[in-house]
Amino acid sequence: MRIRTLLLLAALAILLIVPVFAGGRQEEAEPESAGSSDYSESLEGTPDDPRLYEPGKLTVATGEPVYPPWMMDDDPAGGEGFENGIVYALAEELGFSRDDVVWVRVNFDEGIAPGAKPYDFNIQQFSVTEARREFVDFSIVYYQPQKAVVALPDTGLSDARSFADLREASWGATIGTTDLDYIETRIGAEDVAVYDDQVGTFQALMGGQIDATVISLPTALFATAVQIPDAVIAAVLPPDPNDQGHGLVFEKGNPIVPWINEGLQAIIADGVIDDLTQQYLVGSDAIPEITE
Amino acid sequence: MSLRRPGPALTPAGRRLRPRDRYLPTLISIGTVLAVFLIVRQVVVSAEQWPRIKAQFFDLEAIIEVFPKVLKGFGINMYVWIIALVVIGVWALVLAVFRSLHGPWFTPLRVFAVVYIDLLRGLPSLLLVLLFGFGIPALRIPGLPGSSLFWGATAMVMSYSAYAAEVYRSGMDAVHDGQRAAAKALGLSQWQTLWFAILPQAVRNVIPSLLNLAVALQKDVALLSVVGVRDAVREAQIYTARTFNYSSLIAAALLFLVATIPMARLTDYVTQRDRERRLQRTT
Repeated sequence: MRIRTLLLLAALAILLIVPVFAGGRQEEAEPESAGSSDYSESLEGTPDDPRLYEPGKLTVATGEPVYPPWMMDDDPAGGEGFENGIVYALAEELGFSRDDVVWVRVNFDEGIAPGAKPYDFNIQQFSVTEARREFVDFSIVYYQPQKAVVALPDTGLSDARSFADLREASWGATIGTTDLDYIETRIGAEDVAVYDDQVGTFQALMGGQIDATVISLPTALFATAVQIPDAVIAAVLPPDPNDQGHGLVFEKGNPIVPWINEGLQAIIADGVIDDLTQQYLVGSDAIPEITE
Repeated sequence: MSLRRPGPALTPAGRRLRPRDRYLPTLISIGTVLAVFLIVRQVVVSAEQWPRIKAQFFDLEAIIEVFPKVLKGFGINMYVWIIALVVIGVWALVLAVFRSLHGPWFTPLRVFAVVYIDLLRGLPSLLLVLLFGFGIPALRIPGLPGSSLFWGATAMVMSYSAYAAEVYRSGMDAVHDGQRAAAKALGLSQWQTLWFAILPQAVRNVIPSLLNLAVALQKDVALLSVVGVRDAVREAQIYTARTFNYSSLIAAALLFLVATIPMARLTDYVTQRDRERRLQRTT
């Protein structure tokens, strides 16, 4: 009786496991056959490109929520803001109409995790780094922000002029960001608290659990003006050699990268991104700078 | 007079088994387990995706690289766990006693215990951790500690003590009414009855359930990571977020298993012993 049960279980297990793997293989094989017809190739580089997630549409992912000045009012489709401004300019450059841009909302980690992605690319201030390139593909860099120190005024960090002055403070940052890497490797702070998202980092800052955090200057300008008005931008930091600037993130091996890059290059050459930078990302120059 | 199960070589009637009947089932068990294992292994390893799965989840180099950090984080898990266990063990017992008190004078304590348990058992632990870990320090009340580790651990204690109090209470309810009557007959006061007659039996009754809660708490301490505590899971996540290699999570998983599996076996053992003790008592 027991043996029969065991055998039955074994048979069940095999029946359950085999289709999973076999099924996986079949799925992978399909797109190749679809992409090889001549008809499809003639459409490449047009809005009906069969290599798009949904041909005819430009499916773009971003964060939930998204913050100004990168996108205004948590409304990517509104078109107001730096990053959605770029997306709409890019879509126009590639031949899409405004309505063909479809927005998908995902969190930061999902965006840079490996695996199949239900969109063409993700735009969410992702910094291009060599380590990340192993798992996702990046477009060319569309913006290189400075990093800034945000702190409460009573921490005295506004008087800091060197990394040594900063090192003693208690730091916090958001997981998976180059800001966290910067605090640990460049500033050399120890026991950095790590939060799930930017909101968590700001809450900890306001609660006095951490003295300071590092974020990109445009985010810092907005945050200190609106989200955490008690905090100040204490300093602007020297550039981070590890952080090559912001790029669009694609699923690894996505064949549309060169095509999107051409579009990006075109709008950079047209000065579209410079205009958007002037419009959304420029602040005052009266912030002290840190030297090493 | 123990109630040990008959040895494997004897039938219930006490007759010796033939060697065939004695060893064949064991051999078949081993054989089938091996066969299933080998088939599954073959299917998994021959799958097209296996090299990618291996690189992303079972990359030994990544595990070795991240291990010291995850271990350090795991130290925090264990530290919070042990302190919380002690506090919960005492605080939950106090709550259970409050709830079981008779008499109109104790109504406020009873009401407090009922409201506390209902409230804190009804809220997700994660919500409490966020509320305590971020919310209370944000008030910036002078004199209160601002450490997220402290407040996160407090939230876990609050939440788990509500469960543990109910476990204690079930143990107290399970003590036969005759015990209460007997204690009263001996002239013991309400407190003396509780302390000398009810609680010792109640606690013994619920130790397996409490150990079960302890195993759950051991894993839930990882919730503290959301308020910035760098526990094992957070250290692993930091590595994953940086490299997209999930092997660090496997490293953390292994550490948790090393800690929780012995706990689970201990719980099984205590439960088994407890059952034998009860069976003995009834025969």
